[in-house]
Formats: sequence, C-alpha cells, structure tokens
Amino acid sequence: MADDIPPPEPSGPEPVGQASAVRPFLLTAGRVADTTGDRAMPVETQVVATAEGLDGLDRLAFERRDIVAVCRLPQSLAEIAARLRLHLNVVRVLAEDLRDEGRLTVHVPDSGVVHDASVLRRVIEGLRAIPDARGVLSDSD
Amino acid sequence: MTATETAAGATAGTSATARPPLPVKMVIAGGFGVGKTTAVGAISEIEPLTTEAAITEVAAGVDDLTHTPQKSTTTVAMDFGCITIDPTLKLYLFGTPGQERFGFMWDDLVEGAVGALVIVDTRRLDDCFAAVDYFEHKGIPFAVAVNAFDGRVEHTLDEVRWALDVSEGVPVVVFDARETGSVRDALLVVLELALARTEG
Repeated sequence: MADDIPPPEPSGPEPVGQASAVRPFLLTAGRVADTTGDRAMPVETQVVATAEGLDGLDRLAFERRDIVAVCRLPQSLAEIAARLRLHLNVVRVLAEDLRDEGRLTVHVPDSGVVHDASVLRRVIEGLRAIPDARGVLSDSD
Repeated sequence: MTATETAAGATAGTSATARPPLPVKMVIAGGFGVGKTTAVGAISEIEPLTTEAAITEVAAGVDDLTHTPQKSTTTVAMDFGCITIDPTLKLYLFGTPGQERFGFMWDDLVEGAVGALVIVDTRRLDDCFAAVDYFEHKGIPFAVAVNAFDGRVEHTLDEVRWALDVSEGVPVVVFDARETGSVRDALLVVLELALARTEG
C-alpha cells in the first residue's frame, strides 16, 4: 500500500446548487440507501401511492407526506427527487419506508428489459413517430 | 364455472393503484456544456428536471504499484427528461456529467440502461474520453454524437473516430442537440445498436 494515498474523505465535495438548511440524511435518521450491492433501486424505478397512503396523508408530515402526495400518478425516483428537491438517496430510503408501511408501491424495473427485443422495438417505433420540429419527416435511406 | 372473476380486481383501482409504465432508460453523457441538457430538452415531453445524484469519482492518476485508483463520492447535478411511448412504456433520458481528468463511475445511474449517447464537441474532444472508456468497458451499447454547433463541425467523422479511438462497431454521427428530429435520430442509432445486440 503506497503511503502517499490519503484516506478517502468521509464526505464528498460540496453539493451542487443551494444546500438545504436541513442536512439530507437527517430526514432519514442517518440511514443511507444500500448502494454497496448492485441492487440499489434504479433512478427510473416507478413509485405509486396506494389508496391507503392517500387516505392517510393527514397522518404524515413533511417529506413523507410530499412523497406520497406526488405519487398519485406514477413517478420515477428521479422525478420525485427533482420535484421535491430532495437528494435522490434520501428519496430511496423514504420510499422504501413508505412501501413497507403500505403507503406506496415500488416497481423496480426488471433489468432484463435491456435484452428484451420486443421492448426495444416498441421504443424504436415510438421514437420514430416523433415528428421533426419543422414537420419534416426524417430522411433515412 | 365459478364467478371468482368479479369486478373487484378490475375496478377497485383508483388512480392510486394505477399500473405504472415500464421505464426504459438511456444515458446522455459528455463533457460540461456539450449540449446534454439541450438534447434532452429538445425531445423530452417535460421541461428537463434536475436532481442530485451521488457518483463515485476516480482520480485519473492511478498508482502503478497498487493499481488502486483514488475514489471519492461526489454529488453531481443530473438533468433528465422523458418520453411516453404509450401508457405502458416510458423512455427516460438521463444527462450525466463527465469531465476531463476524471473517470466517473456511473454504475448507480447506468445500471439497467439500454444504451448511451456520448455527445462530443469537436473543439474539446478529450472531454468525452472518460465516457467513451466507461461505456466500452461496461459493454453498454453507445454511439458518439458530434454536436454541430452552428451547423459546423470542425473535424470529419473519421478524424473524430480516430481521435477517440472507438472500435468499429461504435457509430459516430453528427447531430444538432437543438433539433428534435436530430436528437431522435441519434437516439434511434443507439436503440438499433442495442436491438442488434439482442438479436446477435
């Protein structure tokens, strides 16, 4: 082991943009999402509020309430984080909690979709249907 | 015949139990200011959103004796947008930063992506080396898209291909990050490549 390699810093550089007055992981009581394995929930994971979750909105406060409320319609973890201005990993932790309480359903995408030709074909067909901004069809050979 | 298939299962749902679409993810990578967010915004059905993601930063200087790169976790802004293909299928486009001098480990973000588009500014080619290396190493289908700022490209595609040293199978195209149709066609190049791999 070389001596000139400093130990990794406990925390990274300053986050981008304006920091919240509340340190992110205070919201999660210091817990972090498990990103050690390869099973951290992907950013596109879909989250939907349950009827029970929406009915119980009044019994939730702050971020937990906001997350359930914003998930009336299916949202990805990334959309939740962006819309509520929360750190992505905070959303991961809180969404798991809310799922365990029955307030949300969390749909982790099947990683096999990458190799699913039928899904890829549907995406390709869907994209092809998008017109040029100028209304000119793409001219492919 | 029993009447077990009542309406309960079918109609109990409100919007709260709506079946979410299957998300399909693509990554838009490239150096700072190369046009990632412009490209996402040109084709996304929503204004690009920004969130912060933690990534692992690997210092370029690798200790030759230990081959242990210095890693640290950093937080970067990540812009993204989406395209609803149909009610059951939604394409997400994530723009990820990647600067020169650093290799970024985007595993947290890239896991499960069907492919990637690496946007290149020919005036600053080396900004995209990290991304090209990353996707080649990970075996993720990707294409290099040269952003034609003001409709001009300062180098031929062959020169770009040579400079980036990408393998033959990697498409190199010119596009305009501001044009919906141009971004669409660049994404299609990546998707066709991904599809060809599933069939190959």
